[in-house]
Amino acid sequence: MKSPLVGTAIDRVDGKKKVTGAQTYAAEVQVANVAHAVIVGSTIGRGKIKAIDARAAEAAPGVIAVVTHHNAPQFPGVTGQHEGNDRVVQGLQDDIVLYHDQPIAVVVADTLERAQHAATLVTAEYEAASTVADVEADLPAAFVPETPRGPLQTSRGDVAAGLAAATHKIDTTYRTPVETHNPMEPHATTAVWQGADRLTLYDSTQAISNVRRRLSGMLGLAPENVRVINHFCGGGFGSKGAPWSHVLLAAIAAKASGRAVKLACTRPQLQSLVGHRPKTVQKIELGADARGRLTAIRHDVVSETSRYDLFVESCTAVTRMLYACPNLATVQRIVRLDVPTPTFTRAPGESTGTFALESALDELAHAAGIDPLELRRKNHADHDPETGKPWSSKSLLECYRRAAEAIDWSRRPAKPRTVRDGRWLVGLGIATTTRPSRQLPSSARARVLADGRAVVQAGTQEIGTGTYTVMTQIACDALALPLGDVRFELGDTALPEAPPSVGSFTAASTGPAVHNACVALRKKLIDQAIGDPASPLHGLAADAIDAEDGALFAKADRKRRDGYAAIVGRSQQPEISVELHTEAHKDRDNFSVGGFGAVFARVRIDEELGELRLDRLVGAFAAGRILNPKTARSQLIGGMVWGIGQALHEHSVRDARTARMVTRDLADYHVPVHADVPDLEVLLVPEDDPHVNELGVKGLGELSTPGVAAAIANAVYNATGVRIRDLPITPDKLMKQPEPR
Amino acid sequence: MSSMTTPIAVGMVAPSFALHGDARRALSSSEARGRPWVLAFVRRWSPGADTEAIRAELRGLGAILFIVSDAGVWSFRPDDDLELSIAPSRQLRREIAALGARCGVGTRDDGVLVVDDAGIVRFAHAPSSELTSSLADALDAAGRELLGLPTRPGITRRDWAVMSLVAGFGLVLFHGCGGRGTEPAAPTTVVAKPGTEIEVVLRINGQDRRLKIDPRTSLLDALREHLALTGTRKGCDHGQCGACTVLRDGHAVNACLTLAVAAEGAEITTIEGLARGDRLHPLQAAFIEHDAFQCGYCTSGQIMSAVALLREGRSKTDDEVRQQMSGNICRCGAYPNIIAAIQAARKEV
Amino acid sequence: MKPFSYVRPADAKAAIAAAGTEGASFLAGGTTLIDLMRLEVMTPSAVVDLGRLAMTAIERAGDGVRIGAMARNSDVAMHPLVVERYPLLSQALLAGASQQVRNMATVGGNLVQRTRCPYFRDLAVPCNKRAPGSGCSALDGYTRSHAILGTSPSCIATHPSDMCVALAALDAVVHTRHGSRERAIPIGEFHTLPGEHPEVENVLGQGELITHVELPASPFAAHARYVKVRDRAAFAFALAAAAVGLDIADGRIRGARVALGGVATKPWRSAEAEQALVGQPPARATFERAAAAAIVDPKPRRDNAFKVALAQRTIVRALELAWGSP
Ligand SMILES: Cc1cc2nc3c(=O)[nH]c(=O)nc-3n(C[C@H](O)[C@H](O)[C@H](O)COP(=O)(O)OP(=O)(O)OC[C@H]3O[C@@H](n4cnc5c(N)ncnc54)[C@H](O)[C@@H]3O)c2cc1C
Ligand code: SF4
Ligand code: FES
Ligand code: FES
Repeated sequence: MKSPLVGTAIDRVDGKKKVTGAQTYAAEVQVANVAHAVIVGSTIGRGKIKAIDARAAEAAPGVIAVVTHHNAPQFPGVTGQHEGNDRVVQGLQDDIVLYHDQPIAVVVADTLERAQHAATLVTAEYEAASTVADVEADLPAAFVPETPRGPLQTSRGDVAAGLAAATHKIDTTYRTPVETHNPMEPHATTAVWQGADRLTLYDSTQAISNVRRRLSGMLGLAPENVRVINHFCGGGFGSKGAPWSHVLLAAIAAKASGRAVKLACTRPQLQSLVGHRPKTVQKIELGADARGRLTAIRHDVVSETSRYDLFVESCTAVTRMLYACPNLATVQRIVRLDVPTPTFTRAPGESTGTFALESALDELAHAAGIDPLELRRKNHADHDPETGKPWSSKSLLECYRRAAEAIDWSRRPAKPRTVRDGRWLVGLGIATTTRPSRQLPSSARARVLADGRAVVQAGTQEIGTGTYTVMTQIACDALALPLGDVRFELGDTALPEAPPSVGSFTAASTGPAVHNACVALRKKLIDQAIGDPASPLHGLAADAIDAEDGALFAKADRKRRDGYAAIVGRSQQPEISVELHTEAHKDRDNFSVGGFGAVFARVRIDEELGELRLDRLVGAFAAGRILNPKTARSQLIGGMVWGIGQALHEHSVRDARTARMVTRDLADYHVPVHADVPDLEVLLVPEDDPHVNELGVKGLGELSTPGVAAAIANAVYNATGVRIRDLPITPDKLMKQPEPR
Repeated sequence: MSSMTTPIAVGMVAPSFALHGDARRALSSSEARGRPWVLAFVRRWSPGADTEAIRAELRGLGAILFIVSDAGVWSFRPDDDLELSIAPSRQLRREIAALGARCGVGTRDDGVLVVDDAGIVRFAHAPSSELTSSLADALDAAGRELLGLPTRPGITRRDWAVMSLVAGFGLVLFHGCGGRGTEPAAPTTVVAKPGTEIEVVLRINGQDRRLKIDPRTSLLDALREHLALTGTRKGCDHGQCGACTVLRDGHAVNACLTLAVAAEGAEITTIEGLARGDRLHPLQAAFIEHDAFQCGYCTSGQIMSAVALLREGRSKTDDEVRQQMSGNICRCGAYPNIIAAIQAARKEV
Repeated sequence: MKPFSYVRPADAKAAIAAAGTEGASFLAGGTTLIDLMRLEVMTPSAVVDLGRLAMTAIERAGDGVRIGAMARNSDVAMHPLVVERYPLLSQALLAGASQQVRNMATVGGNLVQRTRCPYFRDLAVPCNKRAPGSGCSALDGYTRSHAILGTSPSCIATHPSDMCVALAALDAVVHTRHGSRERAIPIGEFHTLPGEHPEVENVLGQGELITHVELPASPFAAHARYVKVRDRAAFAFALAAAAVGLDIADGRIRGARVALGGVATKPWRSAEAEQALVGQPPARATFERAAAAAIVDPKPRRDNAFKVALAQRTIVRALELAWGSP
């Protein structure tokens, strides 16, 4: 038997494309005579458009159409901005302005340069209303919304009693700022109408089916008449999980201009038009007994949302399940602001919530004089404290052990400001990380063609996680074909439907679907051979047959073989194929499922100048079976880099007076660059989990982000004795306060 | 020469057809119901190198294409593999002849028929034999007709056809007209008035590419929008991300902040110009080996910067390499692997 | 981008003639101009491409060095003459921007580069520098990146250049040509304070071409240091930067240069700090006194108050490193 491909660190199957620039993204698909569309944004944060003047733009050279709310085509499903399912999409249907940079017009011209300039010629007069730009400017208005994104208010035990009984207590407030996804590929849509009621969208999305469903609804088209294609997505991190205004606007612009239209958002537009991580203000109370066992946790979160949507950054989800504690109360409230609506951002809720919880735990450890790692071990949740269910698998203790060993945790002095290296103060910090793991239903199709090779298809997406590669590995193993003989196709709604590439559940959802389809196809090939008098395997029992290298053989006599090509050839069909729908694994209901990990940071800080250097970042993670250690490690280091950004750099700033974004580009919105990132150390803790799904996969794209910011903040405390509760940790916050003269 | 016997005129209802040959399933015009379609008689065509160009044209038309050739019959959609084909047979030849007769295309002639989504013929063309050598080009002509665009001034259809033979790619030609000079513009004062186009010759990956562009066009947009060299990415358009990095005379620069006209006379290398045929540049190979990318959007820029870095040879330690590479943002966070790849490739470059 | 006429003159004379008309702008590396034209913050009617002009030489001029206006920032930073005689300039250039931008940016363009004030870059909001008389959005806005020195009620925008801070410390002279007139402008007089006219940033006339920069002989090469504090470890503008040079003889400071970046509306040379150093022994206490003297009457706003202390500490650090203390 050949050793399986699943579990081996093969190079990406799309690697060659990616290093030669051959893969194309949504704005790069070649379309003859394509026109270019540019969005014009509002310059007030709330109010009404009194007048909009498109004449100069219309008269500009090369302009084909200028669409405003006066002349936008009306579609049955595109409602006013306050109502309807698709209220987060602004499609030029009325004169209402709900946030700065909201689309108020779209200009279509024959070249990009002409469209860009003409867009600056559209002017508008407004009736502007006052705006609220920050949650803390309107805290009394915070409310618990009615939304399915819950539970938003939970309790178990008696928190007051738990706190009263506690020997050590912590009561602190943490803040995380607005963060913006800023994938490197700006959101883009190329829209092509085929006649009046068919539309193809090449869209930079993490969720082709989602785009099809939403757009067909908005445009009043039959879903099967909308085709969404995205073979490569240049990063999304949540911001491409659902269609935003520009997708609809591309379709509208194409309709209005009678041309195929390409619409790529500008980097400034990405700061406002495609969602963001909302600011959070998180109050945490912890109580612990003398030995450090948690007696109470209270976690109150206020986060921002827009006037027209109810988005909740679910910070408390982690708090409810991470530690064993009998008494717990959590609440999530939101404040409506005059801002575009927030959305899911890599490790939504977990990364922000974990920063607060894991910082608070560090504070508790210091208050109680207990080693922060020891404190976490003591409060380890052996089963899910929220549901009472057992974990399908959990290797957190092993993660702690291995990462602690790697970073030499035992030599960390408990007292802050102890380790000095020249100008630098050095400190170590720890945090736990976790992410729930989900499996969604998914379909897949497996086909063996006349030449004996296979094409396996699912309407999933490649967002950089390695979907092409791991699905190919899964299919090769299940079909007993070598690597070069399986082509995996994705990113097209013409293929069997698969879930969005969000929430780190692609491998755990579409992986099993691909596996099952391939297993079924293999079975079909076997049946075909058994039933075919011309096959050398004719008449054998199915379980007497195995497969290798694109051929079936009799287990009892390996020389009795029938190649796939021969089987297909004799079938008189061009191919033999199976399409299968796979539901979430039944066993899952009996368990709580999640990935866990431990992150340790070592920082050095120059207090005089406030400079911080991240020396080391070590993460140990366990997330079920690892399909490909190479791509898995990439996912994990990517998540850690996001954590570094959250800890040290990322901060979108709105002008307090107008609610307009001030940090409008990548020079002002800082994300980590090469020089900020040391060689990250990833330890993969193997885990064999029979309960999650056929493949034992949990998914790990977001697991390594939560915890990093807290580990760094905790290391900063260990180094300097300064507790930073307000991200990001910038030089001004690290500078030793000037001594009074 | 074309010989339209009963010319199908623009404005008429298109003929419906079903071609069976010896196949079980027919290939028929009803597949296209409700969307535009193109029926092309191209006798010498077989699936090959012009597939991408044809796809681009079809996307622009939003159409399905039926190709009738000596090698069989195909139905073709822009984003699918060849959907359905019917192998030649005597039966098929008879059906084709009948269909050709209804369309006014003789049995040895080429011709194109474009039908809109309401089933009305919008374009009927039985072009000369040179023209049909490039199906993409014929489709381009059809597309222009459909969109009501003027033919580019100063260029006759015949010129077009000849040039498309050279380039084999209608899309490129749209902007790349006017012969193939190799002399860079003379170093005298060049003037382009606002709003006028300017002719430039860019030397890209060792080839001279002649373009007529708006002087506002950046080198990046010239590559991406005019030359179909989309491997150079646009991440910010303001010098802040490095996705657009190309080599200008061997040095890494941001193509987004470079005016295309100002790049005349320089030797530009893009990611497409790095590999030698199938042989990857050592950095490209190292990027694969070290998994130095995830979504791949920053990758071209990272590699081009790294090529320049190794060529200069100044940065050696990991920290030096990190500093010099810091103009290339990777939002997926592949940084450690990128550094590893560069250090590994150093030995081979 | 607004349409413009593109001119590519073959020599300096033609360039100056072409740029003489109101609204014309020279194009060097384009890293400021194209950036701002794409935002339509700058809308020149004519772009005069200097790309064909031979002004790239870096050469000895007596004991000093003469650097052509079209010399690329990266070439200047790596040039042996500069590395040897003016390590301060080399360090400052390498602390700026990215490999790519340094390969494009020129000395002339860097001298004339414009502020990174985010409101200046956003057409939708008032800004006196971009649209004179419209008001300053930064004053009561988000001011983390803004200046504490040299500000006016009209504008508090920081001059973003690293190179110019080193040039200020090195007493550079900017040479220009305008028609047949040639000028030599000391770096300290080249940039202007915002005052009531923040739209005016330097003393260049319309169509006046920077031809080269001259650096006089410098006794500071042995003890010079550029220190830049920023929000990330690379590819970020300075929160505070200091360029210092010390001429130390017999245990005393014989001459000193101190210039600040990231905190002022123009490259900020501090005579006060230099005075506080000269004649003193090099020591932390001396450096601290000089740093305190450097910040005269700062005008911090809400988000940049930390720059007062940070600027001083950056000077102290630069002096310590220049002196050679660990
Ligand atoms: C992303 C990014 C990051 C950056 N980071 C930094 C940084 O950290 N530190 C830093 O110091 N700088 C930084 N810069 C700014 C950069 O240094 C300047 O943009 C550059 O120096 C300008 O030079 P240029 O040749 O590109 O000028 P251009 O853009 O070509 O021209 C700028 C201006 O100078 C004028 N000009 C050019 N040459 C002459 C001449 N010879 N005579 C008269 N006028 C002339 C032009 O007309 C124009 O008005 C950054 C820039 C970018 C885009
Ligand atoms: S500080 Fe200067 S540049 Fe910034 S908004 Fe005010 S006037 Fe404009
Ligand atoms: S696209 Fe040129 S640097 Fe970002
Ligand atoms: S690989 Fe996605 S941005 Fe670098």
